[in-house]
Amino acid sequence: MSLMYRIQHPRDALVWEGEIPLFSRYTMGIAGERFFREIMENGRLMGTRCPECDLIYVPPRLYCEQCFAHLDEWVEVPSTGQVHTYTIVHADLDGNPLEEPRILAFIHIDGTDGGLVHYLGEVDPDQVCIGMCVEAVFKDKAERKGGILDIAYFRPVG
Amino acid sequence: MIREVAIVGVGWSPFRSITPDLSYKEMMYEAAVRAYEDAGIDPRRDVDSFVTVAEDFNEGTSIFDEYVPDQLGALHRPVQTITGDGIHGIAAAVMQILTGQFDVVVVEAHSKASNVLTLPHILAYAMDPVFNRPLAAHPYFIAGMEMRRYLAETGTPLEACAQVVVKNRANALRNPLAGYGADLTIDDVLASEPIAEPLTRLACADHADGAVVMVLASGETARALTDRPIWVRGIGWANDTFWLESRPWGQARYAYLAGQMAYSTAGIKSPRTEIDFAEIDDTFAYKELQHLEALGLCKPGEAGAWTLEGGTELEGEFPVNPSGGSLGEGHLLDCTGLARVLEVVLQLRGEAGPRQIEDAEVGLAFAWRGVPTTSGAAVILSN
Repeated sequence: MSLMYRIQHPRDALVWEGEIPLFSRYTMGIAGERFFREIMENGRLMGTRCPECDLIYVPPRLYCEQCFAHLDEWVEVPSTGQVHTYTIVHADLDGNPLEEPRILAFIHIDGTDGGLVHYLGEVDPDQVCIGMCVEAVFKDKAERKGGILDIAYFRPVG
Repeated sequence: MIREVAIVGVGWSPFRSITPDLSYKEMMYEAAVRAYEDAGIDPRRDVDSFVTVAEDFNEGTSIFDEYVPDQLGALHRPVQTITGDGIHGIAAAVMQILTGQFDVVVVEAHSKASNVLTLPHILAYAMDPVFNRPLAAHPYFIAGMEMRRYLAETGTPLEACAQVVVKNRANALRNPLAGYGADLTIDDVLASEPIAEPLTRLACADHADGAVVMVLASGETARALTDRPIWVRGIGWANDTFWLESRPWGQARYAYLAGQMAYSTAGIKSPRTEIDFAEIDDTFAYKELQHLEALGLCKPGEAGAWTLEGGTELEGEFPVNPSGGSLGEGHLLDCTGLARVLEVVLQLRGEAGPRQIEDAEVGLAFAWRGVPTTSGAAVILSN
């Protein structure tokens, strides 16, 4: 038992190029459906509340991850929040340098226990800080399609 | 634990950035031959069950378990494939032995990262398809955001993260298995190109190809096979929330939970004094610091200062990643945890050569499954 001989030169090391074409649909589900319809039709954010744990989930969920209760109490939440943490991304999905670095943040939505991950806009990278107050900028109603990109980005308040 | 379990054989295919000459099956075979030789067993006769750890997308296949048996000597035998880290594979093997049904179980994990042409896309596919994926961002953004929050909450300086890279890549220079040994300075790390600020290129582990196979046995069988069994004292694993939107961005709660479970099964009350050294996930440099704190090996916020003072160096009071870690060996995808365990085994056997830690008796290995996961697993071994 062992590898008795090994390939001696790269020209002899053959490869076969393959690919897996993957195309999927992602059902948004009951909670996702309502969240994105409210953005699309009314330009507002909604969450679900767990009365047992006193938690407000954004994104909304139908179940509490702490106590596993079914959640059916929907509450409107502000479209404002604070930058909990952020980064300036310099690479695209293929690992190539971005021409224009982009700022991504986790925005803790005011009055909730959750928030959204999104881009920051109308701000220079060196002006961003943890704790910065920001607000969602919704796309024009005609451009909204029902998805997270119906929010164009978050921008500093004031 | 209700029955003794030991690691009685280890084998590997060395960790290199590319391996154009061997297929992943041949790398597994190479590692398996070493492990069986090391354990003094014949897989066709002596092994009761085989556990492999693999993730279909990393393999470029589907239903990976079908690809397994032949290269491990596992044809016609019980085989199971787990989608997880190598330490999850160790956990499965330990549980099989604890049932009393199996006496010798083999665990395998590997990486053929050089054959994966679209790894960031695969990682992006692990994010929520509705809330996160449409942002179409390189998934290392998660590490950049986590790192910034960790630094802010703990007051850890960037230099401490950079020192992790300097230490681990220097350790790798003493490890012939490692693919990324280097003599760097803190300034080299800080000045490397930004990926997801404050994360820079050199603070991210580059990937490597490689394979690790381990042979586990029940106590009685282990003593019959070898005079230097390495005992599994405790094991634990845990996940935090899936949702990016519910995470504690500054802390590694999964590591705390996995560590507590491992300490509890091992009967360890004071990890810093009862454990001699650790191999801890350092996929990103800040992760080593965050994981050290979560695992209770130092107080929250103290890992950075401890590292800058040299406490976690090879000659320090508590060596961390003597192998070089993922930064020094190369990140081995699903095999990362087994690479951590391999070093603990070699150290406890006294076979770590120029990086040998004197009087090493108890070691900890901890693995994290990388972005975007919150999946951690820990194992405690002793000689």
